[in-house]
Amino acid sequence: MTTAVSQFDDAAVRFPRPLRLTFRDDLRSTLLSWLVKSFLFVVTFCSVAAVLLIFVFVIRQAAPFFMGDGGSAQERIREFFTSRRWFPEHQAHPEYGILAIIAGSFYVTIASLLIAVPTGLLAAIFLSDIASFRVRQICKPLIEILAAIPSVAYGVFAVMVVAPWLQKNLGFPTGTNALNASIILSMMAMPTIISIAEDALTAVGREIREASYGLGATRAETILRIVIPAAHSGILAAVILGMMRAVGETMVVWMASGNAAQIPSPWWDLSQSVRTMTATIAGELGEVPQGTIHFHSLFAIGLVLLIFTFCLNLLSEHFIMQMKKPKR
Amino acid sequence: MLWRQIKNIVFTVFCSGSVLLLAAALLFFLVPMIWKGSQAVFFRKTVEFDKMQMELFRRGHPAVLEKITAQTNQARQPALALLDHFSRGVDTTLLSKEARSAYQQFGRHLRYREVSDEEYTRLREEAKDIRDAFLKAVETTDKTEAESFLDLVDAQQNNPSFQDSPFRIVFSLSKDYRQILQDIDLSRRSEYAAELDIVKTEMRKLFGPLPGESVPPLAQDRFGATRWDVAQKHLRYLIYQTKWVPSEQEDHRLIARQIRRDDPEEGIFGKTELAPLFSMVEQNLAAMLQPRPTIYWQYFLDDSTAGHYFGGAGPEILGTLLLTVLSMCFAVPLGVLSAAYLVEYAADGIITRVIRTCINTLAGVPSIVYGLFGLAFFVLMVGKPCILSASLTLGLLVLPVIIRASEEAIRAVPQSYKEASLALGAGKFRTFLTVTLPAAGPGILTGIILSLSRAAGETAPILFAGAVALGPIPNVGLHPKWLFQPTRALSYGCYDITVGDRLAMQVPHNQFGMVMTLILLVLLLNLAAIFLRWRMSRKLQGI
Repeated sequence: MTTAVSQFDDAAVRFPRPLRLTFRDDLRSTLLSWLVKSFLFVVTFCSVAAVLLIFVFVIRQAAPFFMGDGGSAQERIREFFTSRRWFPEHQAHPEYGILAIIAGSFYVTIASLLIAVPTGLLAAIFLSDIASFRVRQICKPLIEILAAIPSVAYGVFAVMVVAPWLQKNLGFPTGTNALNASIILSMMAMPTIISIAEDALTAVGREIREASYGLGATRAETILRIVIPAAHSGILAAVILGMMRAVGETMVVWMASGNAAQIPSPWWDLSQSVRTMTATIAGELGEVPQGTIHFHSLFAIGLVLLIFTFCLNLLSEHFIMQMKKPKR
Repeated sequence: MLWRQIKNIVFTVFCSGSVLLLAAALLFFLVPMIWKGSQAVFFRKTVEFDKMQMELFRRGHPAVLEKITAQTNQARQPALALLDHFSRGVDTTLLSKEARSAYQQFGRHLRYREVSDEEYTRLREEAKDIRDAFLKAVETTDKTEAESFLDLVDAQQNNPSFQDSPFRIVFSLSKDYRQILQDIDLSRRSEYAAELDIVKTEMRKLFGPLPGESVPPLAQDRFGATRWDVAQKHLRYLIYQTKWVPSEQEDHRLIARQIRRDDPEEGIFGKTELAPLFSMVEQNLAAMLQPRPTIYWQYFLDDSTAGHYFGGAGPEILGTLLLTVLSMCFAVPLGVLSAAYLVEYAADGIITRVIRTCINTLAGVPSIVYGLFGLAFFVLMVGKPCILSASLTLGLLVLPVIIRASEEAIRAVPQSYKEASLALGAGKFRTFLTVTLPAAGPGILTGIILSLSRAAGETAPILFAGAVALGPIPNVGLHPKWLFQPTRALSYGCYDITVGDRLAMQVPHNQFGMVMTLILLVLLLNLAAIFLRWRMSRKLQGI
């Protein structure tokens, strides 16, 4: 049949077989297409299987921490979430309280979002409404490169360039602290926020903007009063995805946040060292023997992280669905 | 009205400003990293660099190197001789060791001459007295006392029994020491000793092991300053000492002041015979090291010594390439076929929605959780942390990226292409393989390149799944044994070289060099993707 494609002019002459299919041909092709379809389905289902496997294996390794010997599960869980003392290496009385660590994760995440969301949103507005086509063609790769730079490279930048600068110019006792990690994290979360927010802003559509301009509104008024309210779900999704990026980031916070399991006091003091969930796992898992309670407790932290990002993901998906739904 | 206009302009300025801020951030990041990293490749090498290359990597011409070494040795000789002479005076252990060994050799010498027992005992006693007097002279911190002891030693100088024996060394030592006594304030000897230790260390850092020292076991101690910038740094350390002095202000806080070691007033060696050493080294450093500009492109191939002190990032680059390419081998077929199913076959039902949610979840799972999963599943499955388990983990990590990119690329293929193929009687899958896939090829390739760069940069997933800081270079071949050994990788190397390794902190150029290599790799891949996309968009526009 392929010959027929290439020599179209006398195709009728060159057909090897009559076009009418026999029953066997019909059956064969039906079976074949069914086979192919189920094969593809199985392949695609790998992603689902992978998600399930991730959950199953992380839960399986985390379970011994909650169910293991020494204390009831309830006590363990209560200590886990309410104590701020994380001393898993203590010989006689190891303590596994991750409150300070969760707080550390939130500190760097919220602080980085405080920088990244306004900047990212404004940049997205610039790209969608202000920039000409040519400028956009230049800016897009720029943002892509910002997103592509490996997190470990950002981490090195934080340790070797930002930390000494902070210490020297702002007089902090240590350069590796929550502020440093937040600045770098905001750089990493920004590309995500920009690209999704820009999609959301573009999706609002020309007619609404033109209607607003037609009524005499300026560009600022149009965007702030009309476009952003219309695109709010997409923007929320962008913020959530940026948050996911910041919460799940490992190398930067491990290298730049100072890794002290404490809640800063006073609470707004970002110049103190904090420790995040990801950094705790990355820093300690390599050194604990497999099968110990400490080992399983790190998987428990991983599980908390996994569930948290899973919920955020569902939320962002909900908002993106809302964005894509045709208005009225 | 005006107020509204002003607000509008302010808003526009802010929006453009944030993009400029972004560009500035990128610039602030890229410029120092690339600039500092490039110094691992472009720098001024010294003769020590050639020696190191010859010994560790068998590179260079022995005859040329020998000539340069002879020249530099000649230039170094006066300074080293001066240092040696002075350290004899200060470093008492050296002197007393030499005196003791002379005494022992004297005993052996006597036995060899077969003198009578009485004579032997008498001479030994005499020699022992002289030795002890010398040792006391060396150890005391009082100058007159030392001189009186030395007088005791010198009184025996013409004693014929010691004339042709190994013991006469003691007399020359005493002579030397008497001369040294003239310049040295003995009460400050311990101070001198401490400072001299620093001077010696810095001299070793500049010129390699001092004459007479055995070859150090560690590679980083075997050579002097291999780079001109490093040499300048150590020259500064050699010449200047830090002195803590009370400040002029009210609080009298101690502040550090840099003063020259040979400063006649304040410098510790200002009034000693070591003083000329510093200006000698300072003025002749170029002759002593012979700096020349070089392009060390072998940085990207060479293995490194412990702590990345010498050498390059070759094994790390190889490891990263192996990991990424292997992970693509797992992820690309899965990803492209999944995308094909989602675009061409999947009906918009509950199952498809579940699949999509799972792909999004997979994309949102934090990288460290992939690391946990890799440890709990792939490492368990394979048996130990190795290349295979690490690349399987990375493959899973980039799977959603590939699915999304391929899906987009496949969707972008015009419906008319597919309809034409279907009209010719080709089946759905055949249409996909022969028409849609080639048309979507560049788009899919872009996705693959981007996920390559993502996989190359990820560190957290491979932390526990097969990346090591130091290890053998995988011997890639037909035999799959290399799949089951851990490997070094650029991303993990970057972490280790900046935070994990104390020794590497002394070689910032190598630290930044490794990071620059990773950034350049990722940038190159991204530029390739951007270029590909640009060509595609031109093609679609029909230019």
